[in-house]
Amino acid sequence: MGVTLVVGTDKGGFVYRSDDSRQKWRIEGPFFKGWKVTAAARAGDGTWLVGTASDVYGSAIHKSADLRDWRQVPQGPAYAPESNRKLTQIWRIVAPDSIWYAGVAEAGLFRSTDNGESWQPLAGLNDHRSRGNWCPGAGGLCAHSILIDPGNSKRLWCGISAVGVFRSDDAGVTWTAKNDGVPIILEDKDFCDIGFCVHTIVADPSDPNRIYRQDHRGMFRSSDAGDHWERIENGLTSGYGFPLAIDRRSRALFAFPLESDEYRAPQGGQFRIFRSTDSGDSWHALTEGLPQEHVYANVLRGAMDADHLSPGGVYVGTTSGDVFVTRNGGDRWFALPGRLPRIHCVAAITEGA
Amino acid sequence: MAKLNVQLPGLLSPVVAGRLNFPIEAPTLRGALETIRRDQPCLGLHLFAENGELRQHVLCFLNGTNTRWLDDLELPVKNGDTLLFMQAVSGG
Repeated sequence: MGVTLVVGTDKGGFVYRSDDSRQKWRIEGPFFKGWKVTAAARAGDGTWLVGTASDVYGSAIHKSADLRDWRQVPQGPAYAPESNRKLTQIWRIVAPDSIWYAGVAEAGLFRSTDNGESWQPLAGLNDHRSRGNWCPGAGGLCAHSILIDPGNSKRLWCGISAVGVFRSDDAGVTWTAKNDGVPIILEDKDFCDIGFCVHTIVADPSDPNRIYRQDHRGMFRSSDAGDHWERIENGLTSGYGFPLAIDRRSRALFAFPLESDEYRAPQGGQFRIFRSTDSGDSWHALTEGLPQEHVYANVLRGAMDADHLSPGGVYVGTTSGDVFVTRNGGDRWFALPGRLPRIHCVAAITEGA
Repeated sequence: MAKLNVQLPGLLSPVVAGRLNFPIEAPTLRGALETIRRDQPCLGLHLFAENGELRQHVLCFLNGTNTRWLDDLELPVKNGDTLLFMQAVSGG
């Protein structure tokens, strides 16, 4: 089975299509030339979705059946004028079944029940009792991570920078902060459960209570759906980083640690992706095929994804426009053709799966 | 009612299916802006902010005059007037 890889960059979206072996790739694009493409996903019904953004013209969600003809959804995520909030970016789209979710900046979560034609805000999170005290991270005040329990669609998680992880057990009506065990980054004078800077969360596909968290303050794991978190950094050169991906078949984790929050670049100019095959107990550097000298490119939080084939493919887009791929679970990597603008997101979809 | 020509910058091409020039009918400048917002909500999202005003870095010219310089948007428009939208880009 081949893979379609959608890459969202600062100046448009690109599509890579592979042969069945994932060895040969051809590139198409750009689509939405000149626009930031900040989120990409394929819905359970096969619809492709992207979020676009422009510093001048704002942000929107677009749909396509074929990655060529696109249509902007008529009633995309939007804040009411009286809220005084601006919708500046679509950070994440998750659309596995009939209910689709979008995480946005300014931070908020929206839901669609009509195949993305209209989106409604989840007031329980967007107007959370602590909302007035939420502070942005360096990337803005953004809801960037969304998880849905595959066995219980009423249980959701959302990661917001620099606020923390929230969980809902009632289909998004009410939300509770879940950050116990993670060091706070910015203490709030009114609310002790906010001020945490989650960068990404991913869920173990075989255990919905097992969640991994790349946080500003380190790498963490929860075995109880986020109620408690423990640090898992054995073997990492740093706990600091942004992306995190999990291969659904092997359950291997992939991370990209940076030197520190001060420098935000690969340590020593070595582009090393770290893998854990024991649920985060230990991490090991992957270097074969990756540049190991004078590389100071970053990987943004949305720019790492897995295709869930066997052996697993992982796709990593950099801020200097390279896309690195492994088709054997991380043992060896190669670069896809082209050098793109700064990469915001990658979405790997297995065709025919 | 007057018939105006609307001209859009190329970046908005995907939003309007490539139709960067199109006519609208309106009695006044305010009416023209409201017509665009009402009849083409997807385009309106990109031209107007949540509060209904032009986005901060969107410029609108009526026959070459920056509409932000006008005292009154109730200005009557006439057949053949041009409403040009541009992005405010300055420097590099």
